[in-house]
Amino acid sequence: MPKGFFTDTTVCIGCKACEVACKQWNQLPDDGFNFTGMSYDNTGELGSSTWRHVAFIERPVPLGGNLGSHFSWLMLSDVCKHCANAGCLDACPTGAIIRTEFDSVFVQPDVCNGCGYCVTGCPFGVINRRHDDGRVWKCTLCYDRQKVGMEPACAKACPTDSIVFGEIAELREKAQARVEQLHERGMQEAYLYGADAAGQPGTGGLNAFFLLVDKPEVYNLPPTPAAPAKTVEQSWRAMAFAGLGMVMVAAFSVLSARGSRP
Amino acid sequence: MMAPRALGSDTYYQRPILKEPVWIWTVPMYFYIGGVSGAALVFGAVTRLIGGPVLRPLVRKCHWVGFVGGGVGSALLIADLGRPERFLAMLRVFRLRSPMSVGSWILALAPPCAGAAAVFGDPVSSLTAGLLGIPLTGYTAVLIANTTIPVWHEARTSLPALFIGSAITSAAQLLKLLPLKLPWQARKALNTFGIIGSVSELAAGWVVEQQVSRVPIVGSPLHEGLSGALWKASKVMTVAGLALSIFGRSRSAFRAGAVLGTTGAIALRFAIFHAGKASARDPRATFQLQRHDALLPPGDDGEPYQIEPETKRQTR
Repeated sequence: MPKGFFTDTTVCIGCKACEVACKQWNQLPDDGFNFTGMSYDNTGELGSSTWRHVAFIERPVPLGGNLGSHFSWLMLSDVCKHCANAGCLDACPTGAIIRTEFDSVFVQPDVCNGCGYCVTGCPFGVINRRHDDGRVWKCTLCYDRQKVGMEPACAKACPTDSIVFGEIAELREKAQARVEQLHERGMQEAYLYGADAAGQPGTGGLNAFFLLVDKPEVYNLPPTPAAPAKTVEQSWRAMAFAGLGMVMVAAFSVLSARGSRP
Repeated sequence: MMAPRALGSDTYYQRPILKEPVWIWTVPMYFYIGGVSGAALVFGAVTRLIGGPVLRPLVRKCHWVGFVGGGVGSALLIADLGRPERFLAMLRVFRLRSPMSVGSWILALAPPCAGAAAVFGDPVSSLTAGLLGIPLTGYTAVLIANTTIPVWHEARTSLPALFIGSAITSAAQLLKLLPLKLPWQARKALNTFGIIGSVSELAAGWVVEQQVSRVPIVGSPLHEGLSGALWKASKVMTVAGLALSIFGRSRSAFRAGAVLGTTGAIALRFAIFHAGKASARDPRATFQLQRHDALLPPGDDGEPYQIEPETKRQTR
């Protein structure tokens, strides 16, 4: 049964409880105690030891339906999207990255040899190699907790239910209803990001999708992400032609030298 | 449905959206050495088949270069792994969808065939090594093109020709540089091979530049910074090497041409490698390319919005 996250950014309060719960449950090392100086976001990005990241966007733009304010805060708890067509999974040459029975994308730490190819296959810049460990790491969608019927640590810790965990089909209905509710209340800009394959053909839909109120780029999400394997045939074909050319060039060089006189 | 355009910045504080490739210098170095190895195997097999007795001394030398190159290349790749001791996990599965998997198998099979061809000199292993040499020369281009890095993915149909052209140059020039006893016909064959290789390398390089510049910001790493400098240097060296290979009359001019061709080919691989890193660091490359292809309105990827003191007072 496909399971995943629906992250409703309109109710996120930026408390970062998800970040903390994730770190704690998964026993992730710290990623430096850096001060970015750009916003309340001192985490910066998802990475090998940061599997939840709360983005903070400060805009001089009023939010639809909110009167009397010329300013708005947007917050989004970002996570691995567990794409239906996962670029990292396609790229993995060792079979370390697998799709689980819950339809999530999981890196088997006992197989990964840290080749780093998945890092370049992810259209969201999620997966990365850990320097001290040598292997790649990312959100497991709390595979261990799901195995025993528990919800992921971040969803459990979220105090506003901005992060909702459940069956994808149910989450989609819930998300659609929420969008309609927000539209009724005047927040016309609300829309779903990556909810299904129709809306995001490049990834085949996300098992962790979002409700956003501004362009995806504002949240550091790509507008039309795609797993690169869709175009790999073009490259193999181009390589075959160039390879054929190389054989012909070699044959020409050999024959012309063989028949020549000093 | 897309949200209306907001004021301020359309990048997230200009932070990268993609992760930079984690690969170290051994990977572009392998691109070069794997190219040398593959092109030498192809040249060796062709010479074995149609070279006749005059060119026969060249065949084994090509196979040796292919064999040693494959071995050194494998070592360079293993050195890059986060867990080098697990290098054999590469042969745990075979996946057509992953160029890295296909390439690992090719790299695992080619050197033994090349070694057999070098030792026994039989036509079967020579031909097998030659056939494996074709993808060994070009798969690295397919591998990097099959990523989300804008500058690599945009060049996905021209990079293979660039890498193969450059590999032909590399193999020909290296075989010319090695202190080998070769008949003059063999040197002539290598020179022709190298000249056509350099010409195709330059032509393919031009196509790559056109393709990646479809959206200007995507192509900028080939003009700016370290990768831009390497790209330019590579072109200059390749042209100079080509000129010396064609017009050179003395032995030293020939050697200089071979050295320039080799350094040009190495610089090319490092240029492409660093262009990919730069492309991953710049979120505008990803955003502008995707907006362009999805016919979305252009965004404002400039400076992030700064709160003015007056605005602060108003909201209080």
